[in-house]
Amino acid sequence: MNEPKVAIAVLCAALLVPMQRELAAQVASKIEAGQYTVNDGALPISALRLAPTVQFEFPYATLKARGAAFLSEQQLQLADGIVSGTFTSPTVYGVRAEMIGNASRAIDDRSLSSDQVDVQTRVHLRFHERGGLWVGGGVARPWRVAVFSAADISDVGGWAKLGSPTAKFGTATFTTTFTNFAFTKIASVHDTVSAQLSCVGAASISTDRVPLFPLRNESIAAGACERQSRFGDLEGSLHWEMGAVELTAQMGRRFGDSYDVTSDSRQWTSAMATVWLTDRIAIVGGGGRQPALPLRGLPARTFGMAGLELAYWPMSKTAVPVSLPHAPLVKSFEMKPGLGGLQKFVIRVSGVETVDVMGDFSDWSPLMLSRRGRDLWELSVPLSPGMHQINVRVDGGQWMAPPGMPTMRDSFGGEVGLIGVSPEKGSH
Amino acid sequence: MTFSIQRGIRASVVATSLLLASVLSAQEGDPFAKLENNRYAFDLILDSAAAAGLPTGPLMSKAREGIAKKVDSKRIVEVVRKLFGELRTAHAILGGVDEQELTAAAALLDAGAKPSQLELFRPRQTGRNDLTAFIVWTDFLQRNIANEEAFTAISKLWRDGADDATFQSLWTNVKGDISQGLNPGTALQNRIRETPGRASPAPGKPPEGQENQSSR
Repeated sequence: MNEPKVAIAVLCAALLVPMQRELAAQVASKIEAGQYTVNDGALPISALRLAPTVQFEFPYATLKARGAAFLSEQQLQLADGIVSGTFTSPTVYGVRAEMIGNASRAIDDRSLSSDQVDVQTRVHLRFHERGGLWVGGGVARPWRVAVFSAADISDVGGWAKLGSPTAKFGTATFTTTFTNFAFTKIASVHDTVSAQLSCVGAASISTDRVPLFPLRNESIAAGACERQSRFGDLEGSLHWEMGAVELTAQMGRRFGDSYDVTSDSRQWTSAMATVWLTDRIAIVGGGGRQPALPLRGLPARTFGMAGLELAYWPMSKTAVPVSLPHAPLVKSFEMKPGLGGLQKFVIRVSGVETVDVMGDFSDWSPLMLSRRGRDLWELSVPLSPGMHQINVRVDGGQWMAPPGMPTMRDSFGGEVGLIGVSPEKGSH
Repeated sequence: MTFSIQRGIRASVVATSLLLASVLSAQEGDPFAKLENNRYAFDLILDSAAAAGLPTGPLMSKAREGIAKKVDSKRIVEVVRKLFGELRTAHAILGGVDEQELTAAAALLDAGAKPSQLELFRPRQTGRNDLTAFIVWTDFLQRNIANEEAFTAISKLWRDGADDATFQSLWTNVKGDISQGLNPGTALQNRIRETPGRASPAPGKPPEGQENQSSR
């Protein structure tokens, strides 16, 4: 078994094996399995695709591992894998800082793969929990793609959320981003006509500039030139949720000179639909066009897929954090005796990204619940016998008393819920 | 030009990283540091509570709650001071009850109950805890039931020796009636009429009206 197969096997095992949830981190996981079709000729034209994802969520950090593999000719072929970490600061006056790091491998052919490490920072501004803006910048360092230097990435984006889970037409989130890539590219006058054109007026390769490409071992061909290149991606997306149906559609356009942007990557459109059959099983399907990723050496491709999503611990698909602090959204709250003398909070609330609780039992520090079903959230905590005060919030909104329990004013303009734990029964 | 942009982006990465690190590290340490200029007043209240034989846990918990809810530090100390006063009043009336019962009594006073009404609960009965009664009473006040009505209902059950399950059952029924649109006061009066003082039947004895069924 080679390295990619080990990675995929570990990811699959991690999300399928039930583990104790009483960890410092909350865990979310899913696996997509289905038929996947591409037209670029490098990967199998049509093959069974497995895509496991595991995510660990801490209060101010998220670690995520994702992979995809094709089952072709009874062999598992890794398509891509990524390990990412996101660190966020607390939100102060609607402003939040975020730092993102990714290490990824993409394989376009059985013999061709590219690795990339990138670091990005963003500053987010949120408006009344219904919209926001962000601006960010970072660096991407490709490996094994010899003709590119590290790329400087800068992006701006905005999002807006309309509707609510209880509205007739559900919730729609619109996102727009513009990402600019600036990098140094080596072009050879012997390659193509566009390469020849790109070298006109560009600097010839000189040996003292080689440190820009530290992982290049081969000698640079005579007649090659270095050129400052850039292109920008303008992308819009819509994520719509109504009942058991989720739809995500994207379209984009790439701006740049012809020798930096190939004609098949000028514009793209794709759409994916998810229909939830149960809290943890969904039918997924979709297709469209993806632009080339030149820093990764990946070509543009048209794809189509249909399959099942098995979410052992489902995770949100929405890319943008959104707050919906509406009390009626929390449908129910239950407390059950859990393993090891812990008490398990079970909350039903749909259409939200995060659910937190806090109370005297946590010294009023927020504790994040794990999504266990589409609208099911759970957390196990140690609770001493007696009465405890508790608050719940969704998507970082206002703290409120959970439903179905006595409440009292908190003297700060809100209210808290009161839950009791009896010594003999565990809870009541 | 391009390299200056690159340097700018990289500098922004470093600067944001430092900002993140400093913000995250600031979360550690003294939990009451955010009280800032009002910290001295807060410490004085804690000292006064300790000197009066009152538990300081509820006061610190209230301060933590206010900090977590991003309430102004001056307001937090005002609320803690008010809670201190209510704890002192409850302690003077009820005597040596446990911390949770005392806190529930203080919350009841805060919700609008009169200190004189608490005096009914002063006589202690072995094994009996008034915590649930206080919580249900506080919740009724929260639901805009008049204090006199709520007190009359709770005190009637308490005198009849109602247990925790009876108080909980009353609360569940009244809450359900209110959610159906019934006036809160009317809901309580209706339910209190049909609530027995002692909800738990003696072991082995079937509920009234079921003797014939069980013998079939």
